[in-house]
Amino acid sequence: MTIDTFVLRRQQGWQELERCIATARGGALRDVSAKDLERFGILYRRSVSDLAIARRDFPDEDITEYLNGLCARAHPLLYRGSPLRLGSLPSFYATGLPRAFRAAKIYVVASLVLSLAGVLAGWLAVALRPDLAATLIPHSLFDQMARGEVPTGGLDNAGFTAGFIIQNNIRVALLCFAGGALLGLPTVYVLLLNGWTLGTLAAAVHRDGFDLPFWSFIVPHGVIELSVIIFAGATGLMLGDAVLRPGLLSRADSLSRVSGRAVGLAVGAASLLVIAGIIEGYISPSGLPEAAKYFIGVASAILLYSWLLLAGRPQRSRPQMSLERVTPA
Amino acid sequence: MQRDTLQIRTADNVGIGYEPAGIASRFLAVMLDYVIQAAIIFFVFIVVQAAAPDASSTTVALLLFILVPFIVSTGYFVVLETATSGRTPGKRAVGIRVIRVDGSAPQLTEALVRNIIRTLDMPLGVVAMFINSQSRRLGDLAAGTLVVREKTAYSAPPAMPPVLLRTPDAGPQIEGVERLGLTEYSALRTFLSRYGLTPQQRQHLAVEMAKRLHERLQLPASAPERQWPAELFLERLYLQLAGRLQAAP
Repeated sequence: MTIDTFVLRRQQGWQELERCIATARGGALRDVSAKDLERFGILYRRSVSDLAIARRDFPDEDITEYLNGLCARAHPLLYRGSPLRLGSLPSFYATGLPRAFRAAKIYVVASLVLSLAGVLAGWLAVALRPDLAATLIPHSLFDQMARGEVPTGGLDNAGFTAGFIIQNNIRVALLCFAGGALLGLPTVYVLLLNGWTLGTLAAAVHRDGFDLPFWSFIVPHGVIELSVIIFAGATGLMLGDAVLRPGLLSRADSLSRVSGRAVGLAVGAASLLVIAGIIEGYISPSGLPEAAKYFIGVASAILLYSWLLLAGRPQRSRPQMSLERVTPA
Repeated sequence: MQRDTLQIRTADNVGIGYEPAGIASRFLAVMLDYVIQAAIIFFVFIVVQAAAPDASSTTVALLLFILVPFIVSTGYFVVLETATSGRTPGKRAVGIRVIRVDGSAPQLTEALVRNIIRTLDMPLGVVAMFINSQSRRLGDLAAGTLVVREKTAYSAPPAMPPVLLRTPDAGPQIEGVERLGLTEYSALRTFLSRYGLTPQQRQHLAVEMAKRLHERLQLPASAPERQWPAELFLERLYLQLAGRLQAAP
């Protein structure tokens, strides 16, 4: 077969595939009828085998490059992972997220330990050098809190506070995940700093004896917020671990394999920050009695962790007492 | 013209060649996408202004200035890369797209991973792109994706048979044509299709080529074909070979 006869004989199929690609790109493949879809597959496989023939027989001709481009455009339309369906979102929260959380529990513990180390270091720093407390506490925003002036009753800007805090915390949580690509070092930094801020503040407040109002401000939203940062940190540590200890895979392959699993936990956890932010805007600084605020904190802890630890577990078949079996037939 | 290509083997066991997009075109694409994001944010401002001109309370205004840019900048790439299989408007304009390392289309997972890591990649990913042979940034490495050029030729280039000037037909049967095949046919076709040679250069090349083909045909020293002018010989041989090959399946 010469190149002229090759092109002449096969051209029609290529043009048809070209039209299929245009339709599939215009809408989505799901609008294409089953018959046309089958035709698409047939045309694609024919073109790929034409590409193989052209590579062998006409390696330097334009036609080979054209066929390569044609196949390159058709291939991702036919080969892809399972598409996103909004209908799968409830089952993600019902089972997927808790399972991802439990699968990552070692990293959650490591992330918790890092955060506690930050808290401890911050507390000790303020306790040992009270003269330096003002410089040790990083957030100038919280200066007033360190002086015991816990913001209460200031709900004028609750919406703004909530919105600002939600986007800021989501940014931090996603940064914790992203830091995994740099061996998890930014993640470790964020976790330590987060713990340090809480530790120094708590120590300063404790020194001045404002513990109860301070914690009543922190606890309602803090349970979810701090938990989420720890979970997001865990995903970053997961990625960092994948790069540091890739096993038999290349470091890039190991990273991409783990990040596909970790991103669901990171994004799912970050979405909980919307709840935490609303509490922080509307409840934490409100004039509610302290007991009510503590109650909200404890209730959120019970809800959060019973969901994460219990939801989506495989159903154990309970041993059933069956009289018929016991009694001889 | 073949540039540096990366062969990705498909399920059909045929390698499809991809040309990884370089830093410059990717930078241009991301800049275009940022311009579009800015336009979207601006549009939302205008709409809110028009819908509620008296809602100028600090809460509404500050929510607009903080939340709308946050949602647009975070969601733009994730939503569009998922919806368009890796061809955001900026990338499409530049002629590049995202694919997974196995050549398939990226889905939500890949879009999330590579765009969450984008925040780190603005300063640092450029270094990764310099080092990596496929210009993959950190987000690409983590998501298992890469950005490639889309070929812009959307129709098959017509096969152009060479114009023959020296012979009206295939001429007398050349001895031993059956010894030759596609390789010689392609070489002849390439030579006969060449433009821009001076007659002397063309003559010189033709003589060299004819000499080798005489050898391959194993023509006896007395064969009349050896006496033909080189270019006439090549044209006749081309026509006879084409006839043979076209007859074959």
